[in-house]
Amino acid sequence: MSVLRIEAETGRSGEASPPVVRRAIGRTMFPYLLLAPTVGLLCVFTFYPLIQGFWMAFFKRGVVVADRVPATWPKYVGFHNFTNLLGNEEFLVTLAKTVGFVCAAVPLLTLVSLVLALLLKPAFRGVGIVRAVVFFPSMVSLLIIGITWKWMLGYNSGIVNYLLSVFNVAPVPWLESDLLSQIAVVLVWVWANAGFFMMIFIAGLTTIPETLYEAALVDGTSRWRTFCRITLPLLAPTVALVVILSSVEAFKVYELVLALTAGGPGRSTVYLIQLIYETAFNKPAQAGIAAAQSLVLFVILFVLTIAQLRMARSDR
Amino acid sequence: MNNRSSPQSLGRNALIGLVLIFFLTPPVWLVLSSFKPLEEIFAWPPHLFPDHATLANYVASWSQSHFSRFFENSAFVSVLSAALSVVISVMAGYGLSKFRFKGETLVFLLIMSALMIPLQIILIPIFLVLRDLHLLNTLWGVILAPAATPTSVFIMRQYIRNIPDSLIEAARIDAASEWRILWRIIVPLSIPAIATLTAFNFVWRWNDFLWPFLIISDQDNWTVQLALASNVGQWDINWPRLLSMSVMSLLPTLVLFVSLQRFFMSGLLAGAVKE
Repeated sequence: MSVLRIEAETGRSGEASPPVVRRAIGRTMFPYLLLAPTVGLLCVFTFYPLIQGFWMAFFKRGVVVADRVPATWPKYVGFHNFTNLLGNEEFLVTLAKTVGFVCAAVPLLTLVSLVLALLLKPAFRGVGIVRAVVFFPSMVSLLIIGITWKWMLGYNSGIVNYLLSVFNVAPVPWLESDLLSQIAVVLVWVWANAGFFMMIFIAGLTTIPETLYEAALVDGTSRWRTFCRITLPLLAPTVALVVILSSVEAFKVYELVLALTAGGPGRSTVYLIQLIYETAFNKPAQAGIAAAQSLVLFVILFVLTIAQLRMARSDR
Repeated sequence: MNNRSSPQSLGRNALIGLVLIFFLTPPVWLVLSSFKPLEEIFAWPPHLFPDHATLANYVASWSQSHFSRFFENSAFVSVLSAALSVVISVMAGYGLSKFRFKGETLVFLLIMSALMIPLQIILIPIFLVLRDLHLLNTLWGVILAPAATPTSVFIMRQYIRNIPDSLIEAARIDAASEWRILWRIIVPLSIPAIATLTAFNFVWRWNDFLWPFLIISDQDNWTVQLALASNVGQWDINWPRLLSMSVMSLLPTLVLFVSLQRFFMSGLLAGAVKE
């Protein structure tokens, strides 16, 4: 890339010792050189595509515009792609499902990771290992996690149904029924992400002054009351951070679903990203609609991130 | 605080035991299953340990299914992309923490705002950019496109900030060139942050699915994640092969995590942001 080449060349000329004046100019230019590769790459692979994506949302076109295929030629359609979305049942159903997924997965994840943090915050022998075990899944690709759980949730041969059968429970069609497969995606997603958010909660818990707990102990306050009156209020900013960060993650759910259910059975676990991808690359001349769908998701993520930034600011 | 044998701490320990079982069972079951021959892998009731443990599944996927090739591709991509990421993040972090210049705040906000634009929402235009740059279906596309990571820049900036200015000033008085200061003073003093970030970036790139999915079409250029997705996507899944592939794909992450666990779990707290 040209950006990298520029950087390499200046690197060489900088090694020689230039006259004092050139040196001073060099120094004012230096920070720009330091930032050029990062900013350059972001412009090419993030900002420019974002703007082009905005632009595309106002056209009817194919992803690749082919001279010989008139259907792919860009045609300006104004806000048609957006009004189309409002009447597009597939999109509305998918959006509702995605929101439903977020609304089920995020509170459960917040609760589970908070409980894990409360359990694993106090130091005991081996606490590091237990934390590491819980944290490890968030280092693993969601595809592998999906594969592992697909293997465990199999109807006839899965270990989960076997363990249930030990307790005389009939086999559960985890990945074969509409509702159960949606539940399975939520549960596996929470399993995969709990360790990461547990660590954020543990970091939040360490900022609560120990003296408050000592005072509560002296007063003979019950544990539950201490939790409600001290821990929870002081942990509120962390809770909000976890809710927002995990919502952003949840809206982007894709790889896990791809491995676990591939969107099935039927279309019951198709969420937004999968729909955008399929609209763009599997349907002819619908790239504009896919761009409009992306824009809707962008607005959602944007609002969430702004909320997080505002909170981070009011924190300090 | 609590007496060791009090009912409360007993309950706690039981809970911690449950947590361990809950989080250990899936990976352990994955690994154990991958060593079972085909007739045992679907056995009902399932046996925890394989009766006749075999490496046949591994041998089959490594050589017959070209997994060695995909593994090489992934290693190549992850190492180079992580290295590139760290190099440019150290540079950017240094620039943002130790220099006053026009547009400083703007550049910082610009870089951070990229966090709001995940790949998932720019799939189509990025596909076109990569096509125009002739990077489609090349490993270089997978290396370059995700290399600029705002999280890494932010962590480097926070870290380098704590290096005393006096060290840099002293070097300037000695007429050391700016690049030399970066290489001889900033880099050696930032080794812990650099190590953490290298490991993080390697794992991110190793786990990447969407980028290679978008960029690579030719099977020769597949990464391990693409191979896994293709295998799990088949109607009649070859489980012995898929499970052994999954375990092999886990290994680099596991080795890094076990050896650098301290870094992983502390660097995370500093950044507290997921890619």
